[in-house]
Amino acid sequence: MIRTVTESTIILRRNLTKLIRVPMLLFFSLFQPLLWLLLFTQIFKKFGDFPQFQALGFSSYLMFFAPSVLVMTVLTSAFQSGMGMVADLEQGMLDKFLISPIRRSSVLVGKVVADATRMLLQGVLILVVALAMGARVHTGIVGALVMLVTAALFGVAWAGLSNIVALRTRNSELTMMIGILLTFPLLFLSTAMMPPGLLPSWLETVSKFNPVSYVIDTCRAFMNFRYDWGQLVKTLGVIAAVGAVTMSGATRAFRKATS
Amino acid sequence: MSALIEVANLVKVYPDGTRAVDDVSFDVHEGEVFGFLGPNGAGKTTIIRILVTLLPKTSGGARVGGHDVKTDAEAVRRMIGYAGQFIGIDIDLTARENLVLQGRLHGMTSQTAGRRAGELLELMALTDVRDKRAGAFSGGMRRRLDLAQALVHEPQLVFLDEPTTGLDPQTRLALWKHLEELSEAGTTIFLTTQYLEEADRLASRLAIIDHGRIAADGTPAELKAEVGGDVVTITLPEDADGEALRRAADALASFPGAGAPTVFERSVALPVKDAGRSLSDLVRRMDEVGVEIAKLSFSTPTLDEVFLTHTGERMRVEESTSRPQSSLSMAARRRGAR
Repeated sequence: MIRTVTESTIILRRNLTKLIRVPMLLFFSLFQPLLWLLLFTQIFKKFGDFPQFQALGFSSYLMFFAPSVLVMTVLTSAFQSGMGMVADLEQGMLDKFLISPIRRSSVLVGKVVADATRMLLQGVLILVVALAMGARVHTGIVGALVMLVTAALFGVAWAGLSNIVALRTRNSELTMMIGILLTFPLLFLSTAMMPPGLLPSWLETVSKFNPVSYVIDTCRAFMNFRYDWGQLVKTLGVIAAVGAVTMSGATRAFRKATS
Repeated sequence: MSALIEVANLVKVYPDGTRAVDDVSFDVHEGEVFGFLGPNGAGKTTIIRILVTLLPKTSGGARVGGHDVKTDAEAVRRMIGYAGQFIGIDIDLTARENLVLQGRLHGMTSQTAGRRAGELLELMALTDVRDKRAGAFSGGMRRRLDLAQALVHEPQLVFLDEPTTGLDPQTRLALWKHLEELSEAGTTIFLTTQYLEEADRLASRLAIIDHGRIAADGTPAELKAEVGGDVVTITLPEDADGEALRRAADALASFPGAGAPTVFERSVALPVKDAGRSLSDLVRRMDEVGVEIAKLSFSTPTLDEVFLTHTGERMRVEESTSRPQSSLSMAARRRGAR
């Protein structure tokens, strides 16, 4: 255990140094979500005044949509994780890790924690912009932390998938393409754009099976209403289930790619 | 001297059926500079990747420092350094950060790794750019940094896969010097190369590998001795007649310790054991039979010929630092004479 901590801290420090050194790595996954945050909240501004929408308790479309952007950010950031893996493969860094006497698992743990850190930072930036635009978190600083951590945890689980793609394709363009192709349908087939009651019934059904909806609904509840611990526990369960599948797949792909 | 690397009947078959390593056996002893000489695709990199625990073998035995590369990979990793054919550096980190990272990965403390990084930056002439991002480095600087990475943790055994491929001649020479110093300091070096000159200069023992098999092994001198000794060529002046050429050939035919002379154009080529020692005697002999010499040259056998002898083909490589053309053509003539 101590050994894993020591070893993965080395990998973590290396990844964080890169993050500080190359600001692009921090902002790469932020452009699209920021654009959405700025544009969609304008396009759908009047929507916030509709009685049907207000009846659900949202004070504005921004307050409704900001949690969606937060989750979108971690989805994009998750695929950045795979691209980083491809870069490490291509630049021979992975070989360097593998011939050193550190455990294979430490390489993955260090990477996952670095991903989570990046997602938290990106989440904070998105949240700050949303607050600057007039949004506020009803549950205060604790609620904001819950939102950020939940989103980052989901991002980490999703990063497992991106690493599976990365290790199988060994191609960063392809990893990004598949990431984009997966991210948008997932967002549109969730409660990201519209609250459940206002979705067509088929879409509402689909959104219930979409893990993205759970994460967004939780963040939304903490931002707009109250400490919804029940919803949080349910969502953490969903994240754990997704994470178990993607991480075991990623670990398998990692073993295969590195043996 | 104990065997640091023991390889027995090693076989690697890739999933696509390619038999990259085909029943290879060899030992490398402590303190040696062991060279693997072979063209692209000969199986050099595959063998080295198996030994550094990056690639699983198909069958056969491979032990490093007495540890099985498969079942005891971690123990192997603790004692080796490796610079692959493709450079592995983090382009976003500085030269120094890259080195410290490698040291830390190999269990060094930050302080020890930092101190060692400083020494290696000095050795590799990278001190001036120690705090520059490695991404901005030239090919030669990257190669030097990569080599330094393999040495940070002071491993007793270093694997270098084509360490000078793609380097300019000056950098190559500087690197050779570093490797020689490293070897003198007691480090065992396992090196692959497709440059004959490099193998000749650095390796204390060589294996010639082609198509996944070892064609020959021994010291460079032994291998060269196998294909024959030196060749002395005496060229007569342009106005020399056939009679003079015949006299020269006859005199040389009875030269002690030499092989049969070959005559071509205005020259006579004579295989001898040691050209350096025979030269003055040869000149005196020509004087005795009244033959005037316009030009005297000699060539020693090269690994190229060793390679040719054992594999039936020349090294399939473009040498950027090739030997003078004259000695190449000399080699060809000599083989014709045999």
